[in-house]
Amino acid sequence: MLCVTGNYHENTSFMTEGSAGGNRTNAFVVTSRKRAMQKVSKMAGEGILLGVASFVAVVVLFIFYFVARDAVPFFQIRGFSEFFTSSKWYPADTPGEFGALAIIYGSLMVTLGATLLAVPMGVAAAICLSDILPFSVRQYAKPVIEMLAAIPSVAFGFFALVVMAPLLQNNGGPILMWLWLLLVSPFLFLAVIVGSDLLTTNIADQKRRRQLNLLFMVLFGILSVAFLYQVATILFAIQILTGTNALNVSIILSFMALPTIVSVSEDALQAVGRDLREGSYALGATRAETIIKTILPAASSGILAAVILGVMRALGETMVVWMASGNASHIPSPWFNYLESIRTLTATIAGDMGEADQVTGSARFHVLFAMGLLLLVISFICNFISERIVVRQRKILSGQ
Amino acid sequence: MNLGTRKILDRSFTAVGIGSIVLMALALMVVVVPIVSNGVGAMFFTGTVEHRKMLQSEFKRGEPRELAGEVAAAERYRARVYEMLAGFEAEMERMKPEQKAEYEEKYSPVRKTLQELLGPLPGDPAPMLTRFKYGQTRWEKAEERLHDLLYETKWDTSNPDVMSKEYFVSQATGFEGTSLAQLFPYVEKNIRKILLPKFTIYWGFLTDSSVDSHFFGGIWPEIQGTFFLAIGAMLFAFPLGVIAAIYFTEYAKPGFFNSMLRSANSTLAGVPSIVFGMFGLAFFINTLKVSESKSVIAGALTLAIMILPTIIRAAEEAILAVPKTYREASLGLGSTKWNTIATVILPAALPGILTGGVISLGRAAGETAPIIFTAAVSVGSAIGLADVFSSPTPALSWNIYNLASEHEAAAQIRHVQYGMVLALVSIVLLLNLSAIVLRARISKKLKG
Repeated sequence: MLCVTGNYHENTSFMTEGSAGGNRTNAFVVTSRKRAMQKVSKMAGEGILLGVASFVAVVVLFIFYFVARDAVPFFQIRGFSEFFTSSKWYPADTPGEFGALAIIYGSLMVTLGATLLAVPMGVAAAICLSDILPFSVRQYAKPVIEMLAAIPSVAFGFFALVVMAPLLQNNGGPILMWLWLLLVSPFLFLAVIVGSDLLTTNIADQKRRRQLNLLFMVLFGILSVAFLYQVATILFAIQILTGTNALNVSIILSFMALPTIVSVSEDALQAVGRDLREGSYALGATRAETIIKTILPAASSGILAAVILGVMRALGETMVVWMASGNASHIPSPWFNYLESIRTLTATIAGDMGEADQVTGSARFHVLFAMGLLLLVISFICNFISERIVVRQRKILSGQ
Repeated sequence: MNLGTRKILDRSFTAVGIGSIVLMALALMVVVVPIVSNGVGAMFFTGTVEHRKMLQSEFKRGEPRELAGEVAAAERYRARVYEMLAGFEAEMERMKPEQKAEYEEKYSPVRKTLQELLGPLPGDPAPMLTRFKYGQTRWEKAEERLHDLLYETKWDTSNPDVMSKEYFVSQATGFEGTSLAQLFPYVEKNIRKILLPKFTIYWGFLTDSSVDSHFFGGIWPEIQGTFFLAIGAMLFAFPLGVIAAIYFTEYAKPGFFNSMLRSANSTLAGVPSIVFGMFGLAFFINTLKVSESKSVIAGALTLAIMILPTIIRAAEEAILAVPKTYREASLGLGSTKWNTIATVILPAALPGILTGGVISLGRAAGETAPIIFTAAVSVGSAIGLADVFSSPTPALSWNIYNLASEHEAAAQIRHVQYGMVLALVSIVLLLNLSAIVLRARISKKLKG
């Protein structure tokens, strides 16, 4: 049976011509025609495989082409400057105004908010998964992260709209205060301990040093309690006028960006390898020092890639911002006011397409594709950068 | 730094790490717990006699004779309410005009609330919309209406510096000295006898179609639409994804062209989901014209493109995880490369490939943005298999958005919205859970 298969051509070809002359057809014999057929079918098979694999590339090109095709007419009609510099968004008027600055700003605002919330937590969780937790616990922690990644965005949006928004609206001040106290006070007290220790570290006399250390600690402790209290009272008095605001969306988007950040930066931390860790421990460093001074710098580019991917997730998310951002096209005042409603690119596309669709061909329809193109280009650039970073890190680490 | 501080830093570092994991778990809980606890209420709740009336006349479900008995029992107590209303209306006719106008203004909200609570009152014209044909079908909603009936809501705006506060005034005091004053204590005392609340399990929520834009009935059209879209997307994406993964792992040689293909794959994975929707609209519907307008097939194709990179990646990982010895043994026995792939590598990698497929299925089921312009419609009945090429479908993800944000009475049908979210989340999480279990089994098998 072996002779029929391609690998044994050379060995069996000597008998092909002779046997073919007889009347008896022999299953064990490979004719030259059969051989050619096999070669052709092999090439054809590989061609099909290649065709299917390049399908993805074709799709990417098509996406760029078809989104750009409908975006270009907008820039032809209205030019670039209005879209990027004006924040007057009145697409339904005749003639309409298509200033998307406030919308672009809204997108950037929630993305920044989500990133600021998700990155510290995500990186800390990744460190915990790769270096701190024992393997048996890690097995249960990972599914939690996967579950968080699996929850559909519309469920998060519904939660933001129906549970979170009324909560923020009715008890905004107390919630902000408790978040402040719970999240900031541990770090502040830690900073007090470390700071007072660092200030006294050069004093040679043990007793004096201990006394001074205690003095600093009490002093800074009182100061930081006063600071915490001051800010807490300010936060407590805040009344949030609308629950559907940038803060709400940022919090939910950070939940959604977390799984990406955790899993990619955990991969980066794992890639650092045992030898660096063991070298650091051998020099007498504690685990925290090893991680902060050795592993994080070595994995920094991978973590940067994780952050970029998380940013992309937050920027491209539609349902949460559409449902819970308030969809008000204006730049908040002051510009960092997260308690006001905003509007984002994705939500505008999703919300306006239905009305614009009927008048296909107008600037109102094409401006949405211009927004889509903007999103597409940003995500392409982010993706390109993160991929370069990952490749370079892999090269450096394997090169050592 | 002295040793004590270093120790404290080390401990607190560990605490921060573990704290962030705990925070993530808490975030998951905070999102999932209200969805589950409220979503269950769509199927398990205290239903009133109005609910059973609705089931009987809209879905022909329940025991007609038993229902007739219940209705008669409830009517006995309701008759007294109707009598009081008629008595008060007659009394108003006898009043002086200005006094009558004053009472009429107070009386009409009372009458309206009673309509909402009990359904159409005697003498009302037959309502056009199904939602007005019945009183409150759910006990907790009935209690809210009862509160509206008994107390008038007022807002305290005396202090302009703080937000105005809500407070309640008893309605009965407004009708002091008239025959209607007795109505309020009577309804409050006999509300259970009027509505006959009973614990109800309504499985029909999953299998009935909706009545009067989700005021009553279930979510079957949405569930079915979600299945059509997700499975349609898999039918396109799964074979393509597995074949592409075979090419990348077995045939692709390192080089410029193949690295381009790979980065195309990760670019596709990073495209925002709403852009897929725009592409689906511009390409599948406006250019290829796979259908006149929105249709299941256009939505499934769009979703297929979206989940393709995930499937390719998962299949690649699964194929690479097959031990080298399998491949070598097969080639050593004289099998061809293709034969090895088809009979040795794919069967060994199949559980892993399926895991990726199951996760992608969940993603396709849960995604909303790509189907907004290509497949989703807010109201509609379940469509047949033959209609997938021409007609759009309601889908869980889209209808959650639609009911929560655009429905005219979104606050009144929260239980339906929660039920839908729970259905969607449990479909997706069950798929993911099965993938996790499957993967745990594979890794055990590969180790053992």
